Amino acid sequence: MVGMKNTNDMDNSYLNNDMSATGEIGSEITIENLSIQFPDKDGGAPVVALQNVNLEIKPGEFITLVGPSGCGKTTLLRTIADLQQPTTGSVNIRGKSPREIRKEKKFGIVFQNPVLYDWRTVRRNVCMPMELMGIPKKERTARVTKMLELVGLYDFGTKYPHELSGGMQQRVGIARALAIRPEILLMDEPFSALDEFTKEKLHVDLLRIWSKTKKTIIFVTHNISEAVLLSDRVVVLSPHPGRVSAIVDIDLERPRGLEIKDTDKFNALVSKVRNSFEGV
Amino acid sequence: MNQIKKIVQSKQMVTFAWIIGLVAVWEIIASYVEKTKRTPDNVLPHLYQIVESVFSPDLVNGSQTAIQIVLSNAGITLFRAAIGFVIGTAIGFLLALLMNMFTAAEKIAFPYLMIIQMIPILGMAPIVLAITKDIDTSRIVIAAILTFYPVATNTLAGFKSVEKEKHELMYSLAARKRDIYKKLLIPSCMPYFFTGLKISAPMAITASILVDTLQGGGGLGCMLSQSLKHAMTIYVFWQIVFVGAIIGILSYALMTLLERLVSPNKKAKR
Ligand SMILES: Nc1ncnc2c1ncn2[C@@H]1O[C@H](COP(=O)(O)OP(=O)(O)OP(=O)(O)O)[C@@H](O)[C@H]1O
Ligand SMILES: [Mg+2]
Repeated sequence: MVGMKNTNDMDNSYLNNDMSATGEIGSEITIENLSIQFPDKDGGAPVVALQNVNLEIKPGEFITLVGPSGCGKTTLLRTIADLQQPTTGSVNIRGKSPREIRKEKKFGIVFQNPVLYDWRTVRRNVCMPMELMGIPKKERTARVTKMLELVGLYDFGTKYPHELSGGMQQRVGIARALAIRPEILLMDEPFSALDEFTKEKLHVDLLRIWSKTKKTIIFVTHNISEAVLLSDRVVVLSPHPGRVSAIVDIDLERPRGLEIKDTDKFNALVSKVRNSFEGV
Repeated sequence: MNQIKKIVQSKQMVTFAWIIGLVAVWEIIASYVEKTKRTPDNVLPHLYQIVESVFSPDLVNGSQTAIQIVLSNAGITLFRAAIGFVIGTAIGFLLALLMNMFTAAEKIAFPYLMIIQMIPILGMAPIVLAITKDIDTSRIVIAAILTFYPVATNTLAGFKSVEKEKHELMYSLAARKRDIYKKLLIPSCMPYFFTGLKISAPMAITASILVDTLQGGGGLGCMLSQSLKHAMTIYVFWQIVFVGAIIGILSYALMTLLERLVSPNKKAKR
């Protein structure tokens, strides 16, 4: 459990803007002894998706969950988002339950599949969450334009989802999640359907957005290099049962650009993450 | 070679082959009936005779030609069917909403819906007439009863077909129930709702014609039975059959058109 209690290497400037409800500075999300089991339909032994997960996420932190398929990454993300209830243990966000945070509409979620509404154009898909939040029309339009420019889809605003490629649909999902300016951004393999070029562009964009807004981002990926490039810490999950097998601090300087991938330090960190997997 | 295959397999060709086949069978039987005729009119006339009768200026009931009778009565029938259809659609949609919102409503209502649907129209008509005590009202009521079932069941299926992930997106945004219906459920059930409409529109018309036959008061069905009883020329009967079929097809086409107007993104199927 390397670096789990590590708080002193972070830029402290953003810590000041979050005095959490409990007064407990330095923890945005606290996951304690979280276990999740899915009962077997045929009455067999339940699937242990997560076992005894402990994790503290700091405000404004960019944290990445990596691990092989089926190790419980999505399940962990869903639990934080109140889409999945813990079997035992708890998730605490700023002294509140995930449910309360969800009701305050503070989550932005990019799902593993794009989940677009096929009767709405790209623009109106990005707009939809803002409609629910009662954001005025003018503001909505402005934000949609900005977000579509950001993900490089401005020219496709009037198209319908079925007219887009898989990668483009995924980018619409990203634009939609960012448009509501969530305080906690949960991203489930948002870039895995994209080509290398688009992916790298979005890496740069995401790093820029994050450095500007200092949102807390929990990012799921299979891709170790992506995890190292983006995050403050990489949480390595191992399957059967899903558990945290290591947490690797990524102490690369910020702001980061793609050129950092060519440094020895970067490659050393990639190896370190790779060597932390257990039982794969 | 390939091109010939394509043409043969194309949709128009299939339709065309069907029409040719039907006409051939019709004409063979018509010729046979013609030879053995016992009634004043040939019960199964040749197709050309029916077409001729449409354009014939002869008055058949003292004041109107055959086609005038058919069209004016078609108007009456269509009007009743349309009112029943609109009422049935509204009830069917509301019922689907209720059944989707409250599982209890679904459990209670569904068996009754099935039973109502299983009663034949001609059995239902006297019951409805006994309740409403007015033949015109009961015609509308019966068209409505036939309409609401396909609309309700299809719309309900539409609500249930919405993927879990789409619900989860709404849930994660803490959407109110009203917004979930407005922005997710109702738009996604539209293709299903229109499937219901496409099934029930021709049914409402058929039902209307059938119920017409029970009593006087005008309508295609009335003329149909008069014509069959030789109170009127048999050509009126055949014209009604064809006009009825055309109206049925047109009602279906109208629903397709409406669907396109309501949901411009018609290509998306999900
Ligand atoms: N709703 C569910 N019902 C039953 N089992 C489930 C359910 N959701 C997940 N699981 C099980 O929990 C385990 C973890 O699944 P999860 O989707 O979290 O994995 P993942 O790490 O996101 O995998 P991937 O990288 O393939 O997306 C798997 O063994 C899966 O079969
Ligand atoms: Mg997953």
